[in-house]
Amino acid sequence: MPNIDRRSFLTLVGAGGVGAGAGFMLSESRKHPVEHLVPYPVPPEEFSPGIATWYNSVCSMCSAGCGISVRTREGRAKKIEGNPAHPVSQGRLCALGQSGLQALYNPDRITGPLVRAGRRGELEFDPATWEESLAELANQLELMRTAGRGGGVALLTGGVRGHLASLLELFMSWLGSDQLLHYDFNHPATLYAANERFFGESELPYYDIENSRYVLSFGADFIGHWLSPVHHGLGFGRSRQARDGIRARFVQIEPRMSLTGAAADEWIAANPGTEGILALGIARRIVDQGGYQGADLDAWRAALDGYAAESVAEQTGVAADTVARLADSFAETQPGLAIGGGATGNHSNGVDALVAVNALNHLVGNIGVEGGVIFNPPPAFGPTASRQAGLSRMLELAEDARAGRIEMLIVSNTNPVFNLPEAAGFAEALADIPQIVSLSTFLDETTAQADLVLPSHTYLESWGDDAPSPGVGFRVGAVSQPVVEPLYDTRATGDIVLELAHRMGLDLAFPWPNMEEYLKYSWREVWSSGTPDPAIPDFDTFWTSVVRAGVWGDETRAPGGEFAPDAGVVDGIGVGAPEFAGAEGEFPYALHPYLSNGLHDGRGANLPWMQELPDALTGVVYGSWIELNPVTAEELGLSEGDVVAIESPAGSIEAPVLVYPAIMPGVVAMPIGQGHEQYGRYAHEHGVNPIDVLAAQTEPGTGALAWAATRVRLVPTGGRVDLVKVGGDSRELGREIVQIADAGTPAAAGAPTVASATDAGAAVGIDVPAVGAEAAMANTRLNSIPITVVNT
Amino acid sequence: MQRRHEDIKFADVNNDIVRSLVETGPRYYVTLAIAVLITLACFFFPWFYQLYYGIGAAGMNHPTVWGTYLASFIFWIGLSHSGTLLSCVLHITNSEWRKAMYRSAEAMTLFSLMVAAMMVMVHVGRPWFIHWALPYPNQMELWPNFRSPLMFDVMAITTYLTGSSIFIYMGSIPDFAAVRDRTTGWRHHMYVLLSLGWRGTDTEWHRLGWAYTFLAVLIIPLAVSVHSIVSWDFAMSIVPSLHQTIFAPYFVVGAIYSGTAGIVTVMFVLRKYMNFEHYITKVHFDNLGKLLLALSLIWTYINVVEVFTGWYSNDSAELESLRYKLFGFYAPLYWEMILFCAVAPLLLISKRFRTSFVPMLILSIAINIGMYTERFLIVGTSLSRQYLPDSWGVYVPSLVELSILVGSIAMFCTLFLVFVKIFPSVSIYEVKETLPAPDEGKTQWQATH
Amino acid sequence: MSLIDDFLARWHEYRRPGYYEEFDYHWTMTVDLDRCTGCEACVTACQAENNTPIVGEDAIARGRHMQWMRVERYWEGEYPDVKLRAIPMFCQHCDAAPCETVCPVSATYHNQDGLNAQIYNRCIGTRSCAVYCPYEVRYFNYNNHHWDEPLDQQLNPDVSVREKGVMEKCTFCIQRIRQAKDAAKDDGRRRVQDGEVQPACVQTCPTEALVFGDRKDPDSAVSLMLGNERAYTVLEELNTDPSVVYLKKVDADAA
Repeated sequence: MPNIDRRSFLTLVGAGGVGAGAGFMLSESRKHPVEHLVPYPVPPEEFSPGIATWYNSVCSMCSAGCGISVRTREGRAKKIEGNPAHPVSQGRLCALGQSGLQALYNPDRITGPLVRAGRRGELEFDPATWEESLAELANQLELMRTAGRGGGVALLTGGVRGHLASLLELFMSWLGSDQLLHYDFNHPATLYAANERFFGESELPYYDIENSRYVLSFGADFIGHWLSPVHHGLGFGRSRQARDGIRARFVQIEPRMSLTGAAADEWIAANPGTEGILALGIARRIVDQGGYQGADLDAWRAALDGYAAESVAEQTGVAADTVARLADSFAETQPGLAIGGGATGNHSNGVDALVAVNALNHLVGNIGVEGGVIFNPPPAFGPTASRQAGLSRMLELAEDARAGRIEMLIVSNTNPVFNLPEAAGFAEALADIPQIVSLSTFLDETTAQADLVLPSHTYLESWGDDAPSPGVGFRVGAVSQPVVEPLYDTRATGDIVLELAHRMGLDLAFPWPNMEEYLKYSWREVWSSGTPDPAIPDFDTFWTSVVRAGVWGDETRAPGGEFAPDAGVVDGIGVGAPEFAGAEGEFPYALHPYLSNGLHDGRGANLPWMQELPDALTGVVYGSWIELNPVTAEELGLSEGDVVAIESPAGSIEAPVLVYPAIMPGVVAMPIGQGHEQYGRYAHEHGVNPIDVLAAQTEPGTGALAWAATRVRLVPTGGRVDLVKVGGDSRELGREIVQIADAGTPAAAGAPTVASATDAGAAVGIDVPAVGAEAAMANTRLNSIPITVVNT
Repeated sequence: MQRRHEDIKFADVNNDIVRSLVETGPRYYVTLAIAVLITLACFFFPWFYQLYYGIGAAGMNHPTVWGTYLASFIFWIGLSHSGTLLSCVLHITNSEWRKAMYRSAEAMTLFSLMVAAMMVMVHVGRPWFIHWALPYPNQMELWPNFRSPLMFDVMAITTYLTGSSIFIYMGSIPDFAAVRDRTTGWRHHMYVLLSLGWRGTDTEWHRLGWAYTFLAVLIIPLAVSVHSIVSWDFAMSIVPSLHQTIFAPYFVVGAIYSGTAGIVTVMFVLRKYMNFEHYITKVHFDNLGKLLLALSLIWTYINVVEVFTGWYSNDSAELESLRYKLFGFYAPLYWEMILFCAVAPLLLISKRFRTSFVPMLILSIAINIGMYTERFLIVGTSLSRQYLPDSWGVYVPSLVELSILVGSIAMFCTLFLVFVKIFPSVSIYEVKETLPAPDEGKTQWQATH
Repeated sequence: MSLIDDFLARWHEYRRPGYYEEFDYHWTMTVDLDRCTGCEACVTACQAENNTPIVGEDAIARGRHMQWMRVERYWEGEYPDVKLRAIPMFCQHCDAAPCETVCPVSATYHNQDGLNAQIYNRCIGTRSCAVYCPYEVRYFNYNNHHWDEPLDQQLNPDVSVREKGVMEKCTFCIQRIRQAKDAAKDDGRRRVQDGEVQPACVQTCPTEALVFGDRKDPDSAVSLMLGNERAYTVLEELNTDPSVVYLKKVDADAA
């Protein structure tokens, strides 16, 4: 041992410490990231390194069907923006739509076919090959088909439109099954029913917010997530500050202030489920004041007899003079627009309430006029009959499963195990289905129950098309094209179906080798249906142009005709008192679940951008909470972060309290979207799913889940958590941060209008050349969609 | 064997002080080893972790991007103040009592400045590029930003460090020579180098005296400016409750205050453990106590002014900042600070208190705890409550930060422990000036015998 | 002595009155609060465009969110007369920016386009700029961030990914401005036209509440907006001279 005395030792220790520090710093300062040079002797034809390529496509993150332009560099998707030429999005896009990239590049995607190895739900899968899995599956299907048991196959898919929907229809009809169901938690089935009843229209109408001067919205969070939020947002902005001297007034009626309620000029809380009664109260006042002079005035008087101001005020909790004021200003300010949806439509009296809202539009003559309700033409293509399944239809499916009538369930792009109330017993019913095949991109709760997983492409890797619904008052079609090479060993849903058909020997019925060819074949029909255009001599030119522009359609809205409701409709108008699951004494609070802005019905929960997007009204991230009015919270002795059990007749969940200043005292609200047990690392173990405690209550007319019709009680658990949220104090303290102009301030002249919105395309134009100069030009023009083949 | 100050002989001075350098007991080594180990374990280890992980190892967050590191930085800069500044002031005013304590006080300055510099390294996000804050010619023609108060800081602290180093070194030269003549071996060689060939001629003494006084005069405004400039890091921002004209005097007074308290602590330790009982006496504690009392009153006054400035502004941001400081999340710390720095020092009115060693030690430590709290509050409260209420936040230091705080104290101790074995920690020649000349003694001796 | 001549020449140039106000462009953004709904589409657009990291739940719990664009929410009144005022808050690109003076290494500076630019490579992480910024729009990299593979494939190659210890903030999408300028130059044009460049947030805003452009062009959309009587700047009393101008929200029921 070397001779080291104490002093040398200490010296060495000291020097060593300093030396280590210095050495570390030196290495830190000299550290460079390792870079790999990628040789690119022959770059692929479509891109040149360093230059972005833009592909137009269609967003599939929600059902609005916005046109998108995807920016790619070196074969990777970098950013999604709205397609300026698409009349729905007009160059704009919401947060969820932009996060589509994170669905594409999600680390938790299923990378190849899987076959269940363990028991169901245990997530033990063995990798498989497409060849084997498809051969096996096709064989099974073919055996069932030839044995006449094709009806035992059920296909459950998310809301799908366009030619993929047609293809699924065709496939199921060849199998001989009518169990083709679309399931979306937020499908506005009651709105369809109400329009059918009152207007006799099977399509959703176009709400011309842009040109309206008064928007009266009953429960529809149309800016947040309802139907077509981006398009509604455009209309909202333009109706406020794009017309000289005209600024539309927005009134939002809902028990809990949504994003739309916050943006509105006036937010009115009516007792949950009584919005329809309020609408009829307003209607009665309009009729009483002589605002309606139709031939069937007497029928209206009779129908509205029971809706005198006092009784309406008593039922809704909205003061009688407020009702009168709303009625008078709504009748006065033309054109105006009444919109109903959201919780209003998803209550036990949903259809009646929405009919009442439609009636308001009729009474003030807002139907078929600019700034009012404009009827949409039938979709340009795709099946028109809705396959959307409400809760009762799903219960039937579950019943069929329990009775052994379902031999195979194919699930595609929908997650009913998460999105149906536990009380519906759907998850249990799955156990009685011998074979479950999932065509999901992600391992969600439903896919976890599957026996065979055939992972599908994301929409950014697939061919498809879409006719948005609701449309914009004229026919629009859009083609969705792959913007990147598939990342994994996955296949497009359409290709899987076609491949199955081929392997089943149905080549003659399905003569198309793949989805792209099927689309081309189908669009040939679209092309030939229009007036010939000398600039478009053949189909290939047409197809190329449509794919480049990402959109095709008409230019102008069809003029609206006179509208009068069918005889008998008026007599049937009336909204009953809402019925809740759970007695008021036992369950004192009405539960108001709502779709969250970013997570939507839960599909956004696996996108880290959406998890980190602060909730638009509360700033909470990564979690669930229950909103209480300050008065309610005080009564219960609760403050932010106190964990309560939310108990309904159907179940119980726990969530921390958030004191929310804009909710009715008797109502508690919870966002939907969290509480995933599966669905990848970003989704699971965050928050709870309020759908779990919903009673299996339906709207009787449609069988749709009445998700706003459950009562709950709150039981403090004594637990406390810190709600993770951004933001500090929510009061301005007179610092004039958000300054307010008074009502006399004229609407902005020179504010961006439709014209400057088109400039949005020019911004895209920087990088557009790779798409082609022609498409770039098309991108800059909004209302002139490049190829018009149909005259209206 | 207690000797009175008057009994000390010239030879005793040399003997005592050289003994303190040469004779080292095991207790010293144990103390040093502990200090070094704590420095390594509590300062360097967490710091290296932080370098690896990022500043996120500390507890700072979005509104409160500065934390204890910066508070520690101000604290150490403050502590540095009384040493050299006090020494200079007292030198110019010819205070006799200064002479036994100034060497260690100056050392304190030096080491706290070094620790403060380390705190800067710990504070910044990328310390491996800290040299970019220095103005050196480079081919990119990139210079630091001379408009930045932080840049002023770099300049001021560097100058102060240089000035203080020269000052302490210059004052030690005759002592090095004295020690040189009484040591052998490697020590002798070291002191040969350090004493720069000092022979003690009249010319040398004359020049030393002149240069020493010159430096003392130079350093006083420098020291005042250093802490004024540190205050500008804050006062030149527009953060509510920081953007105040009183900040410069506030910081300077606070610095001298905490520095003086620091001297009391160090004096106590030297006196107790280096056997300097007869050099550092009640007189020193009494005088330092008076100084502390005066400083505490000024400091209290400025604090009251600060509160009134905020209150009278009637500005939402200022008022909220004030309210938060007095009654918000950090309020216990605020009242602790008031107790330690404004109320407790009133005890110093009593002479008995001032001349009692242990109570003085406790008070001096309490004052420094209070002063550390003050610095923490300056950073913590004001940054947590700024203009946009939706961006308010709360900052709580992390374990790494607290550990580095402890480690920085240990680092200071380590440096000081090394110092007392190299520098004569009590000035040999100046102490002699306070003693009766040997000739007088000889005459007396002859007269009595 | 050419060195001295050079120095004097520059000295006189820099001291010419108005020198620092002369920008090539003066990029400005207006935010119409009457249009803004607080939907946060801009937040995600910014995050996608600028490689802003996904920080995770724990980091947000510790107050370390990184989104350059945030929506601040202020409640007014009590139920039932309660209103939410939302305001997008991001770097205001002040022409008298407090953050620029304080950076000891000039890592943040005012560029010739009137932008408050941040040089990540130069930043040493004193965080003083974040202290000096009254709008709290500077975000610090408390640690290295990573993207779970293959999420990293989405990263925008035009924007650098920042490392630990570096301050970052909204740049008005300077990479897009550069591209627009290059495109203008390639076209043989001297200036970028109005509407040719838009930051990601402006591009995506569904309500068209955000307008971006060159204030020096009197006909640009943004110049028109600046003329609106509702225009104001946040924390005007601090004299930071922001390049982000807000348009007051209209309260239809206010007198």
